[in-house]
Amino acid sequence: MSLTRRQALKSAGAVVVASGVAKPAIAAKDPIPVGYLPALTGPSSSTGVGINRGIQLAVKEINDAGGIDGRQLELITRDTQSDPTKAVNGAAELTRGQKVSVVFGPVNSGESLAVVPLLARTNTPQVHPCWVDSLTDPQKYPMCFRNAPTNQQIGSAANRYVMEVLKRKKVAVISDTTGYGTASVNAYVPMLKAKGADVVYQGNVDAANPDLKPELLRMQSAGAEAIMPWSVNAGFLSRIINTRGQMGWDVPIVGQTTLGSGQTKDLLEKPEYWAKVYPNNFRPVCYAPGGKLTDRTKAFLDRLKSAKIDMGDTLLWWIALGYDSPRLIAEAMKSVGTEPDAIVGYLNKLKGFPGVYGDISFAADKHDGYPDDEIVMVEANSLKDGAFNLAPGYSA
Amino acid sequence: MVASIVSTGLAIGCIYALIGITYNVMFSASRVFSFTAGTLGMLGGVLGSLFIARLGLPVAVGFLLALAGGVILGIVTEIVAVRPVLKSLDQHLYVLSTLALALMVQQFTAIEWGTEARPFPRLFDIARGGFDQQFWLPMLACAGVIVGLELLYRHTLIGRAFLAIAEDTYAARALGLPERRLRMVSYALAGAIGALAGFAGGEMLLAFFGNGPMLTFYGFVPVALGGMGNNRGAVVAGLLLGLFQQTANFLVGGIFASVAVFTVFIIVLLARPEGLAGAALQRRV
Amino acid sequence: MDTPMAQVRPSRAAALGAKTGTLGVALPFLALLVLGIAFPLFGGGYWGVIATRACVYWVLVSGLNLVVGFAGQIAIGWVALLTLGAYTTSVLVAGTVTPELSPYLALAIAAVVGAIFGLIVGLPALRLRTFYFAITTLGFATIVTQVALAWQSVTGGGVGVAGPIFPKPFDSQWGFYYFCFGLAAICTWMTANIAASRFGRALTAIRDAEVAAEACGIAKPALLGAVFLFSGAVAAIAGGLFASLQSYITPDAFTLDLSVLFFIAILIGGRSSILGPLLGTILLTVLPEFAAPLVAWSTFLYAVLLLVIVLAMPGGIAELLDYKNRRPLESGRAIVPRPELLERLLDAPAAAEAGALTLEQVALAFGGVHAIDGLDLEIRSGQIHGLIGPNGSGKTTTLNVISGYYAQQSGAVRLNGAALPVLERHRRAHMRIARTFQTPRIVGSASVLQNVMIGGTIDGQGTFVESLLSLPRHRRDEILLHDTAMLALAAVGLERLAPVRADRLQHSELRFTEIARALMLRPAFLLLDEPAAGLSAEEISRLGALVVAIARAGTGVLLVEHHADLIFDICHHVTVLNLGKNLAAGTPAEIRSHREVVNAYLGG
Repeated sequence: MSLTRRQALKSAGAVVVASGVAKPAIAAKDPIPVGYLPALTGPSSSTGVGINRGIQLAVKEINDAGGIDGRQLELITRDTQSDPTKAVNGAAELTRGQKVSVVFGPVNSGESLAVVPLLARTNTPQVHPCWVDSLTDPQKYPMCFRNAPTNQQIGSAANRYVMEVLKRKKVAVISDTTGYGTASVNAYVPMLKAKGADVVYQGNVDAANPDLKPELLRMQSAGAEAIMPWSVNAGFLSRIINTRGQMGWDVPIVGQTTLGSGQTKDLLEKPEYWAKVYPNNFRPVCYAPGGKLTDRTKAFLDRLKSAKIDMGDTLLWWIALGYDSPRLIAEAMKSVGTEPDAIVGYLNKLKGFPGVYGDISFAADKHDGYPDDEIVMVEANSLKDGAFNLAPGYSA
Repeated sequence: MVASIVSTGLAIGCIYALIGITYNVMFSASRVFSFTAGTLGMLGGVLGSLFIARLGLPVAVGFLLALAGGVILGIVTEIVAVRPVLKSLDQHLYVLSTLALALMVQQFTAIEWGTEARPFPRLFDIARGGFDQQFWLPMLACAGVIVGLELLYRHTLIGRAFLAIAEDTYAARALGLPERRLRMVSYALAGAIGALAGFAGGEMLLAFFGNGPMLTFYGFVPVALGGMGNNRGAVVAGLLLGLFQQTANFLVGGIFASVAVFTVFIIVLLARPEGLAGAALQRRV
Repeated sequence: MDTPMAQVRPSRAAALGAKTGTLGVALPFLALLVLGIAFPLFGGGYWGVIATRACVYWVLVSGLNLVVGFAGQIAIGWVALLTLGAYTTSVLVAGTVTPELSPYLALAIAAVVGAIFGLIVGLPALRLRTFYFAITTLGFATIVTQVALAWQSVTGGGVGVAGPIFPKPFDSQWGFYYFCFGLAAICTWMTANIAASRFGRALTAIRDAEVAAEACGIAKPALLGAVFLFSGAVAAIAGGLFASLQSYITPDAFTLDLSVLFFIAILIGGRSSILGPLLGTILLTVLPEFAAPLVAWSTFLYAVLLLVIVLAMPGGIAELLDYKNRRPLESGRAIVPRPELLERLLDAPAAAEAGALTLEQVALAFGGVHAIDGLDLEIRSGQIHGLIGPNGSGKTTTLNVISGYYAQQSGAVRLNGAALPVLERHRRAHMRIARTFQTPRIVGSASVLQNVMIGGTIDGQGTFVESLLSLPRHRRDEILLHDTAMLALAAVGLERLAPVRADRLQHSELRFTEIARALMLRPAFLLLDEPAAGLSAEEISRLGALVVAIARAGTGVLLVEHHADLIFDICHHVTVLNLGKNLAAGTPAEIRSHREVVNAYLGG
């Protein structure tokens, strides 16, 4: 038995030695390792799964077109399983074991909060699409960039729509009990109040609660004129929409992008219930008034169709974001090479990178790359081929 | 408002009560509790959604298949997780083996079915509104099970054999009752009841893998409060739990509601460990 | 017990044997220690993170091991204490609610908070059945996460808080690794000390032979309380380290999967072991890292492992490593007691100490059944009193009343005139009343020697903390307990089987082991419950000689038996029970010819 134990220790030691030996300098034609930390499984994996489809397509296209100066892009994936612990393990392996040049991800805020300091310590440039405001800090984390909107930006757009376009003053803000949900309510209620709104209801409800009628009745009796839900849980959002329909209560629902996802639609009791639901979305991937998509987006949709990528159970902008991200990183590497400082320098000067889902710009003191004016509200039930119409009365 | 709380509370209380009965039926046959009771509830919903919504089978067929799935898990529980550990000297291994089995089924469902809640089909094509089927289906299921078990225990031979095993295994064995087979049938029955709970409650709870741990906990509260093996106690406690939970949800909100339920649960349990209606501990020496 | 233990001189052979035995036990730990210290030399930065994580998990699991592995409490939701410790440390260091504290002070305060909550989470175990307790710990884990989410002003809610950063030299990756490794090593040492102390043995007794533990005087609440305090404290410390490793904590980091991992690591490792769970923790931390596709299935695989262990190898890794107990035992072994050793063991009391244990008109009914109906009985020091009667006549019930397991409904049980308090079975040992059981109640997974040492638990002077830190009084206790137990085993004739696992013994050897355990108390009164059941004729006569010697050394013996020959051979007095009533009492000669007794029980 001690023999078995010694054997086990020896083989463990061998593996450890092998991965600890420093990799030789990357030769000219060697692939470029890019780290990728999606949540592909686990409770918060819907975003990661959607983004993943776009990323895989983009990497394939880049490599088929010859890669970066003849070097193929090697995407090294570590599934975080929606678990910050595994995200940290994965980030450590990508940076210290695999020695990646850049990391994309994580895609969930809880995981990013743990990974950002680690990547800063290993001097690895990072691009991530998480929304929680505190996740970029050009002073503390000079190598961390966000190519998605912040919670502030999203909330502003939604609040602006409710108060200035729909002209409602009495608002009910509701979310689930996840980190994202509680952080959102905390951030948005003061923003509403600062705009002069009357927040007549504010609550965090367990997403598994099967009956939201008491909550909506409370909103109704408090005189709410609009409901603003902030959750990525399709079950939760669908219950809100269904209950509003059952009550026959005619108020708009304005909130999280997931209100418009295929998953939410599947859980609705009646398709009519999806009327007057206005989720956030992004202008480049929406139909302009007149029903046309931008050429860039149309070309992207054609590429998705020919690659047979399914959009029915997810959101187009997730796939688009996933598609844009490796292209952004590849652009940087094509221009300045793979050294971390060069990449960071390039990103700090980036103006208007033409992404399918948005034009990304950074500055040395601004690492949030998504432009305010491209965040729009859309009509959920106008979903066609993954894209939506702009919400009524909506102008830039 | 009150109507909504009452109807949801009673409906979900019936689901909890049914899971409690699942625990009890398993307990009566083997004197152990199984962590798979909540998992059975989860499976009832998931299998129902799989067969009817995804595969498009007719409701009746999907229903029977979902129950069959529960029966299979019940039998597997007995063979794999309960029978081997009953004869060991260590009395508490069953906690671990049933926990392991429940975790395995749970994780497998999460990976294969997915971690998102999927829609559960509408079973009867009646318009919504008022006292909707998602409320009276669980109540109907619960009433049906109570009546059915009552008839079984009192009027059929096999039911009385179950009672005999529950009462005194040694005497029953001495009388020649096939204890092992009866136990397996009991577990199959419990499996069907658990799956029924999940199926009847599918529209309310959706087909969601996370229902497993939730039902394991909330389904056990009726057992703990109502007394081990006491089905009537489980129903009363289950209904009270459902009402209390929905009221707390309404009064203090989601997070504090679960804190409230748990606190009340543990206080009652510490005050009366054998349950509000249970029997005291037996001779140990 | 306040009289000091007998002056038993430790034998040199025993000390030497103990030393080589200890070296064999320590070797794997030393190997791990060397491996761990040298790790930065060959492990890369990535494996450094994994190794640090394994150390942090082990800090928690080492304490939980005492709760789950040793005490046998199914505490599944222990991640609640990790959460508490992580948040307490982080919030105190961040200075958002209180003034900013140093990380070390924050860690210490977290340990105190963890200890208190460990007690709160654990104490229901004293009132609740196993499964109920398991469910409540799960509920607790959920509640703590919910509170962390809801209490936004303190915990940051969903957005969480930054983890503490420890000052130099622990702020670099390897510096922090050594910090965690050092704490893990200290926890290993401390819990190993407890395992090899009377507290560790008492825990296993509570787990596997609770009734016998009570008879040996082991007070469950106090002992479990100490264990929960310790376990909660180290879990909270692990939480602080965890928060530092993660750099940032949010409620979603404290998953049920983590709780399950801790729990399964202990069970895979094997109970009553330190090395097993240590290897189990390392295994479960490292396993998912070896294959990326494995990550999604990791909890599934842990569950499969658990099921396999429970069904096939309940002893876990520890059992696998226990090659000593796979050596075959000699067949045809005989139990040869050496009654002459009893004088030394029992420390013959002076004549003034001679007393009596009396029952006066004791009655106890279970429902309508009069188990004992107005019984008078007197057991005198130095005398053997036999108690016989048909099945169901109330013999064992009488014994249970005397030893405090049942409360009589009327009448009194007196020790030297003073009434014994009812239902205080764990205080009987302090009054030097010892007993054996109808079915031997021993800790199967412990050695025969350890089982006998359990009998002397209450003679130890050292406290739990002294054992934790292996202070001199603990070591003195251990040597004295060891030597006394060896003497007891020699007296009953089992000293050659001392290191053998108790569940490998024959039934008759278990009976004698129980007697040896009872003798550890140096009892004034010894209650034997059918000790001859299952013994061969030769063994019965040796048993008889042993009991005679015990009585001659001054102990009063109550012998409940069916073997009439044994009774008539050795007893000074005999009482015959029938249907709970005293049918006859007198000397063996009188009883043998008593007409009613012959009719009711003895036969033609």
